[in-house]
Amino acid sequence: MKITRRALALGGTGLAVGASLSRPALAQNEPIRIGWLAALTGPSSAPAVGFNRGVLFAAEALNAAGGVKGRRIEIITRDTQGDPTKAVNATQEMISQLRVNAIWGPTNSGESLAVTAIMARAKMPNIHPCVVDTLIDPRRYPNAFRISPSNTQWDDAVRNYCMQRINAKKVAVIGDTTGYGVSAANASVAGFQRAGAEVVYKANIDATQPDMTPDMLRARNAGAEAIVIWSVTTGMIARMLNTRATMNWDVPFVGHPSLSSGEIGSLIERPQNWEKVYAIGYRSCSRDAAGNLPPRTAELVQRLSGKVNLQDTLLWWVACAIDAVNLVARAVDATGSTANEAIIGNWNATREYPGFYGTYTWSPTEHNGYPTDEVVMSAANTARDGAFALAPGY
Amino acid sequence: MLASIIASGLAVGAIYALIGITYNTMFATSRVMSFTAGQLGMLGGVFGSLFMLRLGVPLLPALLLTLACCALVGVLTEIVAVRPVLNSLEQHLYVLTTLAVALLIQHTTAMEWSTEPQPFPRLTNIGSGVLDEKYWLPVAACVVTILGLEYLYRRTLVGRAFVAIAEDNFAARALGLPERNLRMASYALAGAIGALAGFAGGQLLLAFFANGPLLNFYGFIPVALGGLGNNRGAVIGGILLGLFQQAANFLVGGIFSSVAVFTLFIIVLLAAPQGMFGAQAARRV
Repeated sequence: MKITRRALALGGTGLAVGASLSRPALAQNEPIRIGWLAALTGPSSAPAVGFNRGVLFAAEALNAAGGVKGRRIEIITRDTQGDPTKAVNATQEMISQLRVNAIWGPTNSGESLAVTAIMARAKMPNIHPCVVDTLIDPRRYPNAFRISPSNTQWDDAVRNYCMQRINAKKVAVIGDTTGYGVSAANASVAGFQRAGAEVVYKANIDATQPDMTPDMLRARNAGAEAIVIWSVTTGMIARMLNTRATMNWDVPFVGHPSLSSGEIGSLIERPQNWEKVYAIGYRSCSRDAAGNLPPRTAELVQRLSGKVNLQDTLLWWVACAIDAVNLVARAVDATGSTANEAIIGNWNATREYPGFYGTYTWSPTEHNGYPTDEVVMSAANTARDGAFALAPGY
Repeated sequence: MLASIIASGLAVGAIYALIGITYNTMFATSRVMSFTAGQLGMLGGVFGSLFMLRLGVPLLPALLLTLACCALVGVLTEIVAVRPVLNSLEQHLYVLTTLAVALLIQHTTAMEWSTEPQPFPRLTNIGSGVLDEKYWLPVAACVVTILGLEYLYRRTLVGRAFVAIAEDNFAARALGLPERNLRMASYALAGAIGALAGFAGGQLLLAFFANGPLLNFYGFIPVALGGLGNNRGAVIGGILLGLFQQAANFLVGGIFSSVAVFTLFIIVLLAAPQGMFGAQAARRV
């Protein structure tokens, strides 16, 4: 058969018209691709392992129910190993090659600081649970939404608990010497002082300092009625708790969620050294005085039973990830589109969405979606199936 | 407060002194400052916790296994990082090679052990308060090490061979001493001494991969203060450093205590560049 230029031109035009006509039909059948930036291995992988269980559970549940308008949820996971460089590479791959519709994560602030601007340039809808305040800025990053409290909200919760629930007006604020420890301790001191409390002692301690007696003695001599901790360093925290016991001092410790880490339990010299320690927690994932979870969370735990292991993780990690996937699905369901603008527009219009982990509200000018009154203090040594008992005073 | 300063100061000082001796032992036969010294101390705590808490090995076998494992790490360091650069010592290539091995050890420990501090068991249950075993054990380990080294260097043939190599490498080889084997033996000995530091200080430092750099820095100071290759100087320097650091901790706080330590370090080195107990080096003219 002889191919003429006229036949070639006609054929090409026909193909182009055909392809453009069939695109909407193809798009309707394409899966909804959610990129998942997960530090599944390497240092600090425990949160992502917990989040991952929630992600897989939510995707399976949605797909088992027929997907979203007949479209399956496809989770595309990249292990960033907690390394910002790997997170950047994975983000660029997701945007330019995998063409995901939204990205969930990263789940630690170091990685998030590295990728937030990249996602903003691509207008990629992004939900993350990282606490650093500057990660959320609707003007610079109109695509980024926070699904967990910010550091300021944590700070508010700790301060309110100290001043209103345990009536501590003189506090010692202690952080480690990392960037996070220094900035969080400084912000905490400023917050207490604004609220009229007296910060009688402030210190940043090297995480490897073997003896905590000097700092604890100074805090006691200064008259501290509560020790506020801003550190993720379990070794330092455990040493401080052991020193408190050696000093026969029963001052309460209040602060960072690391106070409730299981590692602390293995590092303290006696179990009672972990009493009167209150860590940041969430009302949705806290047991009341009768030992019961809120009804909606109890229902979730029932559904997770036998499918998701909660023994070695935290319930809020699992619940938060389920909410993240559901929020993407809900946006596509409501708008009928996976276009970036459609998803972001839907999230901007979110009012009191009842998730399992929290009740989220976002607007075009406020992308911190977690309500401060749902941030509570937990009794640090009461972990059971990933949930904690509410601290005394609630 | 004074009792606390002395107890914890002596304890951490003894650990620093042992790491200083580890540096010196490796330096004596190779003229190489191996920056794996602190990592050997870190491994002492990690192996001790691994054998006793995770594997349930009793104290004495666990101690021997820990010393043996770290001695092996010492030998591997000699083979991998020291031997290849001995011919170009003046170019200080060993800084790169030993640092590379140190980083390798640290990252492997982080991946295979844990990035969080792990507990180290109580060993004897003797003492409480400022006389707790976590304070006196490192001091006891330091005393035992000094006595053992004095015996080795003064009373045994192998020890005298070490001294001969350290004094004059070429002359010792001319006399037929097996220089390479002795160097490997000294790296094994250094591994065991570093391991003892970490094992005895396990309750203070915990089994934590990040202890390596800390011990590298603070273990180097006694060497510089006491004079390179001078074990007695390292012990005195280490103890003084520990006491000064803990006093500064109590008086001015953690961050500022590090500043105080390094300020003192610089002042001492400006006043006595060869260290407090080091002899003025002869210069060929």
